Amino acid sequence: MRRLLMFITLALLLTSTWLAFTVGEVVPSEDEKGVTVEKNILYVHVPSAICSTLCFLVLLLTSIAYLVNSKPIFDYIGAASAEAALVFTTVLNLTGCIFSRVFWGPWWTPTPRLLTSAILWFLAVAYLILRAGIQNQRHRARLCAVFGIIAFIDVPMVFISARMMRDMHPANVGFDTAWQGVSFGLSVLSILSLAALFIWLRTDILRSRAQLENEMYS
Amino acid sequence: MRYFWLSFKAIFIKDIVTELRAKQVLPTMIVLGMLIVWVMRIVSEASSLSTQMMGPAVLWIAFLFSGLQAQERAFATEEREDCISGLLLAPVDPGTIYIAKFLVNVIMLCVFEIVVVPVVFITFRVGVGDKWIEFITVLLLGNVAISSIGTLFSAMVQLSRSRGALLSILVLVILLPIMLPATFALLLIFGVIPEEFAGSGALAFVGDLKTALGYMIAFDAIFTVACWLLFGFVVQE
Repeated sequence: MRRLLMFITLALLLTSTWLAFTVGEVVPSEDEKGVTVEKNILYVHVPSAICSTLCFLVLLLTSIAYLVNSKPIFDYIGAASAEAALVFTTVLNLTGCIFSRVFWGPWWTPTPRLLTSAILWFLAVAYLILRAGIQNQRHRARLCAVFGIIAFIDVPMVFISARMMRDMHPANVGFDTAWQGVSFGLSVLSILSLAALFIWLRTDILRSRAQLENEMYS
Repeated sequence: MRYFWLSFKAIFIKDIVTELRAKQVLPTMIVLGMLIVWVMRIVSEASSLSTQMMGPAVLWIAFLFSGLQAQERAFATEEREDCISGLLLAPVDPGTIYIAKFLVNVIMLCVFEIVVVPVVFITFRVGVGDKWIEFITVLLLGNVAISSIGTLFSAMVQLSRSRGALLSILVLVILLPIMLPATFALLLIFGVIPEEFAGSGALAFVGDLKTALGYMIAFDAIFTVACWLLFGFVVQE
């Protein structure tokens, strides 16, 4: 089953990359000559944004599930999805920085979406720091679940608060050809399956590590 | 309900009396807050920023960092001699403990503000004119936000190895979104931005004082209730 997901992820990643650089390539307008590669960043940037928000949603659901029935598996899935959220918010912010540098000049400027994605990154980091700071497994799982819930409540508050500022970020992605739409859809799918694979593998590793710790100390 | 009041009063008065006798936290908070204000005032002289523009930002920075001191104390004192176990063994709802600790923190921050706000007024040459009620409302809403998050996380970090550092990371991350409307509201109240120019040009903020206040009230309500509900999970053994 996991091998199948690995195979699908690899196939999707290769296909979407190939499409993005051939038929799906975003052609820059007249005054943006020579920035095709930078414009193609949106095939990584936007899927990462969608994916990291979904990772936070998984974190919320597993946190609630853990607090309700205290099964350690929910804690492992939550931790794995927080790690995935960190990876994808890092990609989101880095690609955003490149885009900002090319189109607006500065590497970073406090506009709503940039601020939101930066805070998402900080939330993921804070969760993982809290996790690393507590040794007792049961305490760690419980406190991380509480922080996971508070962090998810913070996400819409960040969205609303950031919308109170003026925005220069492109509002929606528009496509000229159907192929661009197809390659965008495929890139979203490939990033989502990559995240699912990542969460799956990390959950297994975390569970094995916890079992090892239990056997060492018992 | 009567039982809630009795246990609430006991914990609340215990914390206030402990602080009044030991005088451990309030003096540290006030001195730290005043130092932050003065350091920022000296820096503002060297930078090209207008002094009045920096006033609100400095006020919130001082509140945040001094507030962290108060919150760290809220449960650190209970950990000594394992007082927290005694508190949890008593037939008291965890929510009551949270509310009592939360209100003590709010009161500590209010006392701190009574001292530090005039210092900011004098050093940064700002004033509120006839907007006293709005000013106090914004400060109180900020207080409630800092205390509600801080009280919950203070209990959380007692189980970790690096308490103070971890507390500041967790609290500051969650409080980031409220700092934007809070600073904007103070800029409007201090009259640094005339209300008709708000949201235009370099002052990139959409909305007016009412929007900012509405956001702060929503933030306070959501997080106070969420923290109150989740507190039981944090302290359970």
